[in-house]
Amino acid sequence: MPVSRINMRTLEYLFGPDRALFLPAVSAAVAVAILCGPLSVFVVLRRLAFVGHGVSHAAFGGIGLAAMLGLIVPGAAASAGYFAVVGAFCLGAAALIAAAGANRRGVSRVGEWREDTLVGVTLVASLAMGALLLHVRARSGPIGTSVESSLFGSIFAVRGADAVAAWIVGIGAGMVLVAARRPLVFWAFDEPAADAFGVSCARMRMLLMVLLGVAVIVAMKLAGVLLATALLVLPGAAAVRLSNRLGAVFVLSVAVALLGVLGGLVLSFEADLPPGPCIVMVLVGLLIVSVAVGIGARSREVG
Amino acid sequence: MDEPAVLFERVTFAYPGARGAPALESISLRVDAGQMLAIIGPNGGGKSTLLKIALGLLPGYSGRVEVFGRAPDSARRERLIGYVPQRSEAELHFPVSARQCVLMTACAGVPGWRRTPPKAGAFVDSLLERVGASDFARVPIGELSGGQVQRVLIARALATSPRILALDEPLANIDAAGQRVLSELIRSLHREMGLTVLLVSHDLRTAAGASGASDRVACLRRTLHFHAAPRGITPQVLAEVFQHDLADIFGDLHVDAHRAAECAEPAGHPHQHAGNAGQPHKHAHS
Repeated sequence: MPVSRINMRTLEYLFGPDRALFLPAVSAAVAVAILCGPLSVFVVLRRLAFVGHGVSHAAFGGIGLAAMLGLIVPGAAASAGYFAVVGAFCLGAAALIAAAGANRRGVSRVGEWREDTLVGVTLVASLAMGALLLHVRARSGPIGTSVESSLFGSIFAVRGADAVAAWIVGIGAGMVLVAARRPLVFWAFDEPAADAFGVSCARMRMLLMVLLGVAVIVAMKLAGVLLATALLVLPGAAAVRLSNRLGAVFVLSVAVALLGVLGGLVLSFEADLPPGPCIVMVLVGLLIVSVAVGIGARSREVG
Repeated sequence: MDEPAVLFERVTFAYPGARGAPALESISLRVDAGQMLAIIGPNGGGKSTLLKIALGLLPGYSGRVEVFGRAPDSARRERLIGYVPQRSEAELHFPVSARQCVLMTACAGVPGWRRTPPKAGAFVDSLLERVGASDFARVPIGELSGGQVQRVLIARALATSPRILALDEPLANIDAAGQRVLSELIRSLHREMGLTVLLVSHDLRTAAGASGASDRVACLRRTLHFHAAPRGITPQVLAEVFQHDLADIFGDLHVDAHRAAECAEPAGHPHQHAGNAGQPHKHAHS
């Protein structure tokens, strides 16, 4: 394929007559990246990647339930209902896992849930429930979505209202993140000592989990259930390779997230592939580059 | 009479759901303002638990605990105790410099939408200088040696302007030279800043060194085995408290708890609660 034709498609989609079909996905992707960039730093530093997976996979049960309730149809009311149901699943899982993590702090030593066990249980339970509900619903006619687009994301699932919602939620969550940045960083740095310094572990953990749930909901339609957490892990993982200055890590993480979603969308447009896997593959590529750059920087320091 | 800095009266604490003997049993001790108390005892003896109760982190104890006349929880809210936790290597791979580590504590109350106040920066720099950490203030925390990290954590504890400094195993996993520097630092903070110091240690040698500098020593293994001025401490008391550790080193060892308790009683000294004659003590020999 000649290079000129490769570039054509993206430009044609974004500036051609059908741009209303594509712009919401691009706009939502930028909002998602700006929110997930800083969050992923906390996920990586606090080792919550698996927890993030648990929260995002919980959405699949919600998607199944939304299909059963006939909410996967165009229209603002149905769309709001869809987000309410999926959001309840994600935030419910987030709160449940946060609560389990909170009593790990040494107050209760016996008979408690381990965080990873709980994640493992919610993850498979919600996936199974979603799959069964979608199957049952499919017997009585089209469900308005495909299992594949739920799992791996779709450009066309992101409509104008979704993009607006992504920006509103993203800005709101971003403001919370800025307001709580000092206690959040303290907790992430030293969870065992946080309470002694007046930073409530339980509250910080719950706050971060709820923000993760929100980010997953916003990223869901674009990246899909299985890949939504990529944006909550990969940018932070790449950023901590590139710098050991906290401010720089946050900026780099947002930059990597933006490059990832925009590069992934271009790849998706050009190759006519689902956006979720394209975004993830670009992010993985950026992570590999970051690892190489990080190793190079360290060996120069030593040498 | 001045109110004590830290007061424990017949404090018993068991972790919820834990079976068997409580982690702490009938602990009574008193630390006056400006004193230095070394709490020594073997691993699992309840030293950290005692510290956490004083810090207001473990509710659900029975008995009375006061920190400058307040309940531990309100003392914590007033930031009366600066806490130097046990250092864990795993958490130190974090992209902050030594200075940022102290600064984030000094600025904990500043809302996120405000920038760091310059006054806080100057305060943090003075703390770093006080603990001898100015030279590596800008170095990432993960690249510091154990002793350097400990100094930064002490500066962090001081950033809340506390009246009590509580250190949990500050000298563990630090080389001998570093230990000397650190204990001298702790002693000088105690002397020059008038801080009340609670120092926890399980290491017999460290404990002996630290207790030499302390006004008071508490030997803890679930119950208090000794709580008085350090000169009253005898090899028997140490042997009794550390019997399992000593058994590991010397093998079979018999310690007469009753005799140790007698030895531990310096006549007429206030606030000492030696031994527990009624307690059946496990002996190391079998």
